[in-house]
Amino acid sequence: MINRISGLALATLLLIPALGAAQSLDYGALEQVFHEPVTTSATGMPQRVSEAPVNMEIVTQDDIRRSGATNIPDVLQFVTGVDIRHYGIADAQLGIRGYNQPYNPRLLVLVNGRQVYSDDYDHVSWAAIPVQLAEIRQIEVIKGPNSALYGFNAVSGAINIITYDPMHDKVNTATLLGGTQDYLQGSAVGTGQIGDKAGLRISIGGFRANDFASDNLPARDAVFRESPPQVGSFNIDGRVMIAPGVEAYADTSMSDSRYAEKTFTATFDTNFTRTNSQLVGLSADTAAGLLSFSAYRNGEEVTIDSAGLSALANWVREAVYVVQANDLLKIGTDHIVRIGFEYRNNAMTAPGFVQGTIGYQGFAGSAMWNWQITPNLSLTNAVRVDDLQLRYSGTTAAGTGFTVADYNNAGFAVPSFNSGLVLNLTEKDTLRLMLAQGVQLPSLVDFGLQIPLGAVGPVVVAGNPDIHPSTLDSIELDYDRAISVIDGRARVALFAQRNNDIISQSFSSPLVIGPTGLPVLLAANVGHSDAAGIELEIKGKTEWGLRWNLGYAFVATNDETQLNRNGQVTSAIGYAHSAPRNVVIAGIGYSRDRWELDLEGRWQSSYQDYQSTSSLILLQPVEVQNYLSLNARVGFRITDNFTVEVTAQQFNNSRLLQTAGPPVERRILAGITARF
Amino acid sequence: VYRALVVPILVAGSPVHSCLAASLTQQDLQILGSALTFVQPRPASGGDVAIVYDPGSPESRKDADSIKAAIGNGLTGAGITLTPVLVAADALSAAHFALVIVAIGANSPAVLRALQARHVLCVTGEQSAVQAGICTMAIQSSGRVDLLVNSQAAQQTGISFATAFRMMVREL
Repeated sequence: MINRISGLALATLLLIPALGAAQSLDYGALEQVFHEPVTTSATGMPQRVSEAPVNMEIVTQDDIRRSGATNIPDVLQFVTGVDIRHYGIADAQLGIRGYNQPYNPRLLVLVNGRQVYSDDYDHVSWAAIPVQLAEIRQIEVIKGPNSALYGFNAVSGAINIITYDPMHDKVNTATLLGGTQDYLQGSAVGTGQIGDKAGLRISIGGFRANDFASDNLPARDAVFRESPPQVGSFNIDGRVMIAPGVEAYADTSMSDSRYAEKTFTATFDTNFTRTNSQLVGLSADTAAGLLSFSAYRNGEEVTIDSAGLSALANWVREAVYVVQANDLLKIGTDHIVRIGFEYRNNAMTAPGFVQGTIGYQGFAGSAMWNWQITPNLSLTNAVRVDDLQLRYSGTTAAGTGFTVADYNNAGFAVPSFNSGLVLNLTEKDTLRLMLAQGVQLPSLVDFGLQIPLGAVGPVVVAGNPDIHPSTLDSIELDYDRAISVIDGRARVALFAQRNNDIISQSFSSPLVIGPTGLPVLLAANVGHSDAAGIELEIKGKTEWGLRWNLGYAFVATNDETQLNRNGQVTSAIGYAHSAPRNVVIAGIGYSRDRWELDLEGRWQSSYQDYQSTSSLILLQPVEVQNYLSLNARVGFRITDNFTVEVTAQQFNNSRLLQTAGPPVERRILAGITARF
Repeated sequence: VYRALVVPILVAGSPVHSCLAASLTQQDLQILGSALTFVQPRPASGGDVAIVYDPGSPESRKDADSIKAAIGNGLTGAGITLTPVLVAADALSAAHFALVIVAIGANSPAVLRALQARHVLCVTGEQSAVQAGICTMAIQSSGRVDLLVNSQAAQQTGISFATAFRMMVREL
């Protein structure tokens, strides 16, 4: 029955679900219907991944298991177009299509739509993400900006980690792994369900290991890489159907991690991070569309043991509150519309680094319109406007000329958009043309850093309330072809992008003389950068258990910035050389009876990284030579419930210089997994 | 103007969604079982799935037999199991069933009339029947999975679908 939207209040609609309501979104059932992964990460509407108007790679639970990886970055390093830097056994930085750097701010990462990206320094602590690999249904990797859906920081891409649905999916596993580097990891996931009306999933896990030896690093960096890394996390995810088509859900998590990392200043430190999150939500399939409401809080406490900052209190506490409401509506047979609203309140307290509390309050409105022009042609347009007002309370560093009032008067409104045309040329051939503008927000530290003269040297180091968001303009053309003879598909992607108003954090920025005559390092917008590239992928499988994939990524980047001029290298931003131009990914696997055998390889050309020097400010460029890294895994199912496995990571090289950090060491792991 | 120009070209020139008269394969039937999750009202478990054939057409009867054989002991999905029974098209109005599958050559307005207001989903492999509004949903999975739904036929038979599902199928 189709009801018209009348003047009924939202609350009334929630209480009167339409007859068509069965449930809001059941990934598993939809995947069984359409024989391919399903996503909402492209536009906010449920779609088959082959129809999404973005370049998206889906990494499934099978892919994760067969990779033998023990963490998410190691899973994703075999996705074409993804760059990885291993700075330690627990510290990896991911980038998409170049533009990688320590504390990469340009990649938004979420778990079921909740951001796990930290706004304090604009980065992702992958080790602190409170998710066990066994509870992940799929990892959705979006290449290219997607700010019209997610807002700030989905710039070079977005990664949405989708876990199993506690109400519909039963996941009961326990895994124990051990190996070289004294590696020890344990995890357990359990699900309880009441019919198909309610479900609860609990997961817990952690690991410890000896970090890679840092004998090639400057003594100061080596000293502050404290070993062993230790990580633990806990998550509870619940969902209940409170009426036909109306579901309530809640999620809470905690993580506690300690690991050596490379920071945005290219120095090493040891990071102690505790995170917690609480989320509640409600979705309702009504005559007015799919209504959803969610609210969550991310809390984080970070303590850093670092050289050069010992004169300052070294802890940071951050809390972000996010409230989101969306309505997704199908109008007639050819139009789908989403309207959304978001409120965001973020505050970071750091008595040392920001001499007080810096934060912002923001509102965003968004809209998406999908038009199925013909059965074979669809057009999707999405737009979002974020309005942000900065807030600061504390003591500004003398010499910058900024007052507290300057901070509290600062704010801006910034638009973003995504537009995609998808044309199914034949049943096997698909063309996608995409235009987008993404937005990167300066970090809270970029806004509010306040390091007075003398604390780290004869210079004031400060944030900048007048710094602008960086925007990325992107155009991309993709061609997909399903190839039945190999039971697989091929993809060609061509892209070009311009990054405007690149953000430089304070330590890396050109030195300026402040209004009182003091030298100041001030966070700033420092220019633009252009990139263009191509990605080629092909994958297939056979009926007798063989699977294979091959990928190639090329990206060329050119910078026009004010950084690292006149022989003074102060910034780890050197995008023209900071990612390998050429990357080849290859994988082959075979499953038969109780056996699974997999081999994956990544070769990449040389690139330039940076190493710290005795000066806190100056950096030393380091050429990282091309390398090949090979991983292998053998799994054997002893019984229907127990599987044993042996994994060799980077088995072709005992120590491999992948960055300007410590060489990555070969790791051999053995483990057992129970599934019930 | 744009649509008037472009749509006929794309529709006429495209082999993607052609109108095929096709039987339902075992894979199609598995898809049907999974799709029942998104149908409201959901068929009651333990009921019958009527496989409707044209009694005057040996080809139709053969196709119905083939579908029944592919279903085997029961059509399962969405936590329910339905028992397959063959029903001649002219006997449909007197039969009791929870789901209807129409074999090749048996789609007719009479079938739709027999289902009116009975809250029963009509499924076929013949997209032309769905385009003509005499059956609710067509399933084809020989290549890319294609689900075609006629929303008017759904309304007439008292069937609705979850919004998420509607967004992912081709609707007429």
